[in-house]
Amino acid sequence: MVVAGCAPSQSTGTGSSDSLAVPDTIVIGSTLPLTGTESKTGGRYKQGYELAVEQVNAAGGIDVNGKKVKVELKLLDDTSDQAKAVNLAQRLITSDKVNAFLGTYSTPLVEAQSTVAEQNKIPYVNGGGAATSIYAKGYKWVFGTLAPVENLAETEMEWIDLQQKAGKLPKPSKVAIVWENTSHGKDFRKGIEDFAKKSGNYQVVVNEAFALDGKDFSSILSKVKGSDVDLFMVDAHLPDFITMQRQYLSSGMCNKVVTYGARGTEADGVKALGQKGVDYILSAVWWNSQLGDEGLNKTFVDSFKKKYGAAPEWYQAVSYEAARSLFTAISNAKSVDKTKVRDALSSLQMSSILPGGKVSFPADKGGQASYPFVVQQNLPDGSSPIIHPVDVANGKGTAPNPMCKG
Amino acid sequence: MGQVLPLAVSAVLLAGFYASMAYGLGLIYGVLRVVNLAHGGMIMASAYLSWVLFTRFHIDPYLSIPIVMVVFFFVGVAMYRGLVRFLPRGAAGGVQSLLLLFGVWLVIRNLAYLLFTGDDQAVRTSYSTASISIFGSSYSVNRVAVFVISVVAVVLLQLWLSRTYTGKAVRGVTENSDSSTLVGIDVERVYAITFGVGTALAGLAGVLASTLFAFNPSFGAGELLKSFVIIVLGGLGSVVGIAVGALVLAFAEVFAIYVVPSYLTAAVGFVLLVVVLIVRPGGLFGSKVLR
Amino acid sequence: MTTTAQGKRQGRPVRRPGGPPGWLQRWLPTWLSKRSLVAFVVAFALLYAAPLVLPLGDYLHNLMGLTFMFMAAGLAWNWLGGYVGQISFGHAAMFGTGGFVAARLAVTFGLPFWATWLIGGLAAGLYGLLWGHPTLRLRGPYFSIATIGVGEATRLVATYWTDFTGGSSGLSLPIGGGPTKFQLYWYGLYLLAAAVAISYGLRKSRIGLGLLAIKEDVEAASDVGVNPTFYQDLVLFLSGTVVGICGGFYASYQAFIDPLDMFSFDRSISFVLIGVIGGIGTILGPAMGAIVFVVIQEFLLASYPQLYLGLYGVLLIVVILFEPLGLSGLLMRLGRRLGIRPSVSAAAGGLGSASAAPDQPTGPTGHGSPEGKREKADEAGEKAGKG
Repeated sequence: MVVAGCAPSQSTGTGSSDSLAVPDTIVIGSTLPLTGTESKTGGRYKQGYELAVEQVNAAGGIDVNGKKVKVELKLLDDTSDQAKAVNLAQRLITSDKVNAFLGTYSTPLVEAQSTVAEQNKIPYVNGGGAATSIYAKGYKWVFGTLAPVENLAETEMEWIDLQQKAGKLPKPSKVAIVWENTSHGKDFRKGIEDFAKKSGNYQVVVNEAFALDGKDFSSILSKVKGSDVDLFMVDAHLPDFITMQRQYLSSGMCNKVVTYGARGTEADGVKALGQKGVDYILSAVWWNSQLGDEGLNKTFVDSFKKKYGAAPEWYQAVSYEAARSLFTAISNAKSVDKTKVRDALSSLQMSSILPGGKVSFPADKGGQASYPFVVQQNLPDGSSPIIHPVDVANGKGTAPNPMCKG
Repeated sequence: MGQVLPLAVSAVLLAGFYASMAYGLGLIYGVLRVVNLAHGGMIMASAYLSWVLFTRFHIDPYLSIPIVMVVFFFVGVAMYRGLVRFLPRGAAGGVQSLLLLFGVWLVIRNLAYLLFTGDDQAVRTSYSTASISIFGSSYSVNRVAVFVISVVAVVLLQLWLSRTYTGKAVRGVTENSDSSTLVGIDVERVYAITFGVGTALAGLAGVLASTLFAFNPSFGAGELLKSFVIIVLGGLGSVVGIAVGALVLAFAEVFAIYVVPSYLTAAVGFVLLVVVLIVRPGGLFGSKVLR
Repeated sequence: MTTTAQGKRQGRPVRRPGGPPGWLQRWLPTWLSKRSLVAFVVAFALLYAAPLVLPLGDYLHNLMGLTFMFMAAGLAWNWLGGYVGQISFGHAAMFGTGGFVAARLAVTFGLPFWATWLIGGLAAGLYGLLWGHPTLRLRGPYFSIATIGVGEATRLVATYWTDFTGGSSGLSLPIGGGPTKFQLYWYGLYLLAAAVAISYGLRKSRIGLGLLAIKEDVEAASDVGVNPTFYQDLVLFLSGTVVGICGGFYASYQAFIDPLDMFSFDRSISFVLIGVIGGIGTILGPAMGAIVFVVIQEFLLASYPQLYLGLYGVLLIVVILFEPLGLSGLLMRLGRRLGIRPSVSAAAGGLGSASAAPDQPTGPTGHGSPEGKREKADEAGEKAGKG
C-alpha cells in the first residue's frame, strides 16, 4: 500500500556495535518513581540499587574478564508516570547508550518500559513488576526478581493447609477471595483458585473484585458475612486495606484466617488501625529482615543498617538482588556485549538473600524468578514473626483466629 | 435475604457522607452558576487539616469541625474575591469558571504533595474501630457520627437560607440578581459569602472523610465526580433535593452488587449521571428548564 | 457580469486577490487563501526534511513525533471545545477506544498498522456519536459534566472488559510489527497535517460559520437554518475519529497500552490543557499548547518534578484570567504591537464568546447584550445557511 512505505527508515542501525574492548565505566540506566504516587516505594528501590552499586565499586568494580570496571548508575525520576518511564528509558538507551537497564517500580510501568528494552535489545532486570503478564510476552531481554503473586497466595495456602491437616481448620474450608481489580489482584486470585482445585479441600464461595480506592465495602463484606467463610483472603493496596479492615472490624466480623496479601505488617497500617485492628492478620512478602540471621542475609542486613540506619524491607531486597544479578551476569559473561550479558542472565544461578537461597530466571517462566514467599503473622505483642516456610520460620502461627468467639 | 436491612442501613449512612460532600458544590452552583472544580481539592485539603490538628494538637476531628469550617469559609471568600469575581456570570462564564477552578485544584494538589508527600494518611482515634448496634447489626461509630452531623448540617443550612437575612439574600440573588440589587442587596457580597459557605461545607466533608478513609493528595477526584452525580440527580433547587440525590446514589451503589460485578458499581453513578442529564436535565426534582 | 457570493463570475472563475492562481483555483475551495497554503506546504516540507538533514538525535526525534500526535489530538479536541464551544472532559474515552481497537486488531488479526489506526479512529468516532448525540443538546457546564461521566464510565467498563482490552494487564503489541519509533515521526507528521487541514477547513468554510453561529446562540442559529444537531454531531464525529487515530498512534509508539492509562481522567485533562493553554478556538493554539505540554513533561519535570501539577494549574489560571486565547492570544498581541494584523477569522475564537477580542476586559456583566449576540448569530447563520 502507498501509505505503508511512506516513511524513511533509519539509515544507521539502532544498535551500535558494542566494541569488544571492555570500557572504563559500566553505565547502568534506570528510572524509578522518586516523586508522584509511588515515591515512597521508589525511594526504597533506590536504596537497594545504590547499596549494590556501592558494594561492587568498593570491591574495585565488576570483574570483566580480569579487568575491574566501576559501575555508574544513571537514575532518573519517572514520577510514577508510564509515558515518562518509557520516554526516559528510550533516552537512556538510545542517547546515553547505557550498557544495561535496571527497571522501574510497579507493574504497569515495568510492563510499558520493558517493551522499550526488548525493542532495543538491551538487558533489562527489574525488581518492580510481579505480574506474570509481563513475562508471558515471549520477551528475551527482560528479567525480574519479583516472584509471581500467585506464589504469594500459594505460600499462604501452604501454611493454611498445614493447619488444616493438623485439625485446626475445618475440612473442607470455605474461602472468600476479595481482590483488587489489577493484575496483582488477578494473580492472587489465580493462586488461591489453583491451590484449591489441586487440593480439593477448599471451596471458594465468594469471589469478588473491587475497584481501587473504594469508599464503601459494605456490600462485599455483607456477602462474605452471609456466606460464613472460614478463610477471608484479600489482595489490596494500603488505603483499601485500611478502609476495608476498619469496616470489617466495626461490622463485628471475624474469620478464622484473615489475610490482605502483602499488607498487614506496615507501620502505616498499625498506625491507622491500632494493634488490635491488625492482630493475627496473615501476610506474605517477598523477603523480610528477620531472615537476616546468618550468611548472605546477615551481611546484607548489616551493611544496609550501616548505610541507612534502619532495617531493610522486601523492596530493598528485591532491588538489591536485581542489581546484583545484573552485575554477576556481566562478570559471568566476561564482557559488556549485550547479547552475552543477556545469555548470562538466562543461565544465571546465583546464591541470594531471597527465600530459597538462590535466584535464577527460568525460561519457562519467561525470565521471572520463582521462589516461595515468607508468611508472617501479626501478634498482639507487636511482633510479626515468620511462620512459614518452616526452614526460615522464627515463630509459630496461630489458627484459628483466637479473637473470634466460637 | 437478611442482608437487605443491614445493607439498607449501610446505604443510608453512606448517603449521609455523600450528601455532606455535595452541599458545598450544590450551593455554589445554585447561586453563582459556577462549577467549583476545586471542590475535590478543598475536601482533600480539609482532610489534611483535620489530620494535622489531630496529630499535632490532639484535637479530636469532630471537635475540630468548627475550626476547620471557619478557616475554609475565609479561604472560600478569598478565592471568590481574588479569582472567581473576575469571571463573566452566566452561561458564558460557566466554562471559564470550570477551567479556572480546575487550575486551582491542580495547585492545591501540588501543594499537598509538597507539604505532605504522596503517602496515605489516616486519622485514628480511640474509637475508630468501635461499633454501635442498629437493628441488630453493628456499624462503625464514625459512620453513624458522620451521618448525624450531615443531617444536622442540612437542617442548619436550610434554616440559614430561610430564616436569616443573609440566607434570604442568597435566595433572592439566586432568583434574580438584578432585582436583588434594586432592593439594596449587595450582590457581590452575597456571592462572596456563598462561596465562603460552600467552601466551608467542603471543609466539613473533608473532616468527616478523614475519620472514615485513608487519603493522599489525589483524594477528592472521586468525591467531586460523585457530588456532580448527586447534584444532577437531586436537582439544584433545594438542599433537600441534594439529600435525596445522595440517598439514590448510595442505594444504587450498595445494591448494584446484586446486578453487576462489584467493581462496576462505581460506574453505576456515572451512568446515572449521563442518563439523568439526558432525560431530565433539571434533575429528578428540579425544574425542567435548564439555564 | 454578476458575481455570486463566492466571487465566481458566471463562466470563468475570477482570480481573487490573495487567492491561489487560476489554474489551481478550479480544484480548491474558495476560502483557501494563498498565504495559508504556502505556509502549510513550506512548514510541512521543513518538518519532513528536518530529521534527514539535521542531527536531531534519536531522543529528540522520537519526542517530536510524539508531539505531532499531541498537536493533532489537541486540534481535534479544539474542534469541539473551541469551534463549537462545548468543552469535553472525556476525550480520553475516544483516545482509548481508538487505541484499543487498533491494538486488538494488530494483536488478534495482524492487520497493518495504518488499517488498525483508521478502523480504530472510526470506531472512536462512532462511539463519540453514540454518547454525543444525546448529550450535545446540553449546553455549557452541563455538557462538560456529562463528558466527565462518560469518560469515567468508559474507563471502568474498559478495565472490566478483559477479553477486549486485557483488563488491568493491558495489551502488548507484537514487537517489530508496526513502524519503528523512528518512522513514527513521519506518520505523526501526516496525522498533524491532516488535522491542520481539517481545522482550517472547518474554520474557514461555511461549516465554520455555522459552528460560530451555534457557539454564539444556539436558538438564533437554528432560527436561520443552521441545524445544530447535525453540525455538532459532525464535529464530534470528526473530533472523535482523529483523537481515536491518535490513540492508535500512541499504541504503536508505546507498544503497550492499558485501560487505566488510556482512559484516565488525567489524559482527558491533558487535551483540555493543550487546547486551553495553547489557545482555544485558534489553529496555532493547540499546536503550541502541545509543545508546551510536552516540553513541561519532558524537560521541566527532570529538574523540578514536584512542581508540574502546580505549573499547569497556574498556567490555566493565568490563561483564564488574563488571556483567554492562551498562547496564541499572546502571540497575536505581540503581532499587533509589531504591526502585523492577524486575519479576522483567526481572532474569532476564545472562550465564552466568539466576539471577545483579546484585549477587552471580561467583566462580570458578560459579553454584550443579548440582542447584540443574536445579531451576530443571525449574520453568521445566514452566511452559513446560504453558503
